[in-house]
Amino acid sequence: MRFLVLSIACLLAACGVPQPPLVASDVEITRPMPGRHMSAGYLVLHNNTDEAIRITRVTSPQFGNVEIHETRVTDGIARMRELEALVVPARGSVTLERGGKHLMLMRAGDLGDSVSLQLLSGDAPVLSIDYTFPAGTG
Amino acid sequence: MYPKSLLAAVVLGLALAAGVFVALRSQQAPTPTSAMLIPGPAPLPEFSLLDQRGRPIDRSVFEGQWDLVFFGFTHCPDICPTTLQVLSAARAELAEQGQQPLPRIVLVSVDPERDTPETIGRYVDYFGDGNLGITGSLEEITKLAAELGIYFRKQPSGDDNYVVDHSAAVLVIDPAGRFSALFGGPHEVAGYVHDLPLIMGGD
Repeated sequence: MRFLVLSIACLLAACGVPQPPLVASDVEITRPMPGRHMSAGYLVLHNNTDEAIRITRVTSPQFGNVEIHETRVTDGIARMRELEALVVPARGSVTLERGGKHLMLMRAGDLGDSVSLQLLSGDAPVLSIDYTFPAGTG
Repeated sequence: MYPKSLLAAVVLGLALAAGVFVALRSQQAPTPTSAMLIPGPAPLPEFSLLDQRGRPIDRSVFEGQWDLVFFGFTHCPDICPTTLQVLSAARAELAEQGQQPLPRIVLVSVDPERDTPETIGRYVDYFGDGNLGITGSLEEITKLAAELGIYFRKQPSGDDNYVVDHSAAVLVIDPAGRFSALFGGPHEVAGYVHDLPLIMGGD
């Protein structure tokens, strides 16, 4: 039975079942620092389509406001600025990492063990991400 | 013939001496790879600020131990916690290697308007015991920062919000309270683990 399921899965993959247009990997959301109500989100977004995807808005039920930010260090000065959009190039990827582009998650509510994020292009939802904090980080 | 062999002997002698010189030089102590040493360490300026318990402090707070000083603010979700995390991880690794002395980690707020002693205290405590958080009047912080070549400036961000642009450097203050080295960044644990024992000396 297991073999059959695997075979069907392989066949489907080989037949080119459409991949999701946008995929997230390496997701990490930090917990707010003690006494703070903001944290940061890091991830890699992969675009499986032939068109660039523009993420212009991110929402989360656990945070009052989410902005797309970038830290840039030029001439020894760290500057953090809001970005209008995250552009994931066609068949390419964009990396949100420490000291670079990141999600700034503000006005945190009571965070349990998990956070969900909705990535939108304009008003159109593009990708939902469910993140569970690693054990022992509460 | 005689002068020729004399010349050959002199050349050979010089080559040997050069070889010994190069060999000796390559055995000299390693030098820092990430940090820049300040030629002629400079005493800190006079200042009057508060520690995380709200106690008044002056420049003598920097005497008696090595300090790694970072200027940042607690409403900074990315580079400030990342830098403090690197410093804390480097200190833990040095402790594991048996390095003595170990440096104290110090965060000086560039956002005293929002960073009360309690706020900055909870923030620095998150990165380990024994860390020092400093805040106080904007005027006094500006005085200290300017003297150390640290830049910071408030920038509006979003509705009713702001961020603070600030120097990304980490300063090393020696036990005599003098600014003696600087890590300009990017900050990596390995760079600190390699350089700090060279800067601080000890075992």
